[in-house]
Amino acid sequence: MQPIQRRIFFILILVAGLAWIGISADPAGNAGAGGVPAPQAGFLAPDFTLKTPEGETFTLSKLQGKAVLINLWATWCPPCRAEMPAIQKLYDEYKDRGLVVLAVNSTVQDDPFAIAPFIEEYRLTFPILLDETGEVSQAYQLRSLPSSYFIRRDGIINEVVIGGPMSEALLRTRIEDILE
Amino acid sequence: MIELFRSLFAPPRHLILLVLAAWLGMTLAEKRTARHGVTNEAFNNLVFYGLLAYILGGRILYAVNHLPAFSQSPLSLFALNPDLFDSFGGSVAAVLVALIYGQRQKIPLWNALDALTPFLAVLAVGISLSHLAAGTAFGKPTDIPWAIVLWNAKRHPSQIYELLASLLTLGLLWFQRPNPRPGLFFLTFAALTSAARLFLEAFRGDSPILFNGIRSTQVLAWALLAASFAVYEWRKQSTSGNAS
Repeated sequence: MQPIQRRIFFILILVAGLAWIGISADPAGNAGAGGVPAPQAGFLAPDFTLKTPEGETFTLSKLQGKAVLINLWATWCPPCRAEMPAIQKLYDEYKDRGLVVLAVNSTVQDDPFAIAPFIEEYRLTFPILLDETGEVSQAYQLRSLPSSYFIRRDGIINEVVIGGPMSEALLRTRIEDILE
Repeated sequence: MIELFRSLFAPPRHLILLVLAAWLGMTLAEKRTARHGVTNEAFNNLVFYGLLAYILGGRILYAVNHLPAFSQSPLSLFALNPDLFDSFGGSVAAVLVALIYGQRQKIPLWNALDALTPFLAVLAVGISLSHLAAGTAFGKPTDIPWAIVLWNAKRHPSQIYELLASLLTLGLLWFQRPNPRPGLFFLTFAALTSAARLFLEAFRGDSPILFNGIRSTQVLAWALLAASFAVYEWRKQSTSGNAS
């Protein structure tokens, strides 16, 4: 290609690029918008209602206005066990600023009799919810344990952390983000 | 098929795809280093120090930006959490270290960039595969026949578009005739990648919006495309006397 032809080609591409930016502009904003519930950052957190071993009921949508950390776990999962002390520590530190921790036990793939000793062993004071039917695991498309969802006060998922154990600094930075 | 792939490489296993891409990219790039006037040893060291700087720089800069969190638990600096990472900071550190190493070893910048291009092109394929596995970089809702169901909606398969574009870029570069002018190979990669991002970003459902629906990633891609063209012209002119 001759230099002059090449320069004209480059300019045409750049003009077409500018036109494409204008044509493809989306005034509605990005896809998280619209309030579609999905277990992904930018989407509304899928709602659920679960019970604690003591029979107390928690509904996620009733916690709007609070920053929520949902942690999906099981007693047999080593990283879940490893991150529990850090979650408890930061819950103690941040609960007065509006942090709610919902530790959803994937009961459908766990030993229900191992849950109470687990709570005792780690001295957990935040609500432990039992996902006995796998409803939450399904709604949150659970593929790995632990999985954590950091939900802003408006009910939108701010960040998803798959796998663990989460370090204290990771928890602290993500909790600070959702408390803002 | 896509579901099987997503199950197999569900996060955090999607990172395996990046490691595999880096390894394959290195292997392919090594076969062409001589063509760009760089020895295999210099190339391997360049990539090694660059990657090391990326990993260490990304973590250190993240910690510096979140000093209160790390000062309360300093051991978190060594935690195996890939989320504690500043990828922009890591990239800056990698480029700086690679530049310093290249200068010390007297590797000309444009030759080094040309030698790195196949590595970067394969890495781009790995990144799009990891997006597909993790369901990130997802498309906007649509009713087109080839839509995929992701995050509870039928969406543009933006990760597959990205994969096809990166494979096409890799193919075009791999079968390109050797260019005697250093830098043009890399600049062709930069232009193709920017053009693909500029076009495909329109189908993304998670684009950051600048104003009035204008996507900031498209604006950045356009600027990089313009810069690639400008530098390409400059290189073409400045090296025309040396070209055979």
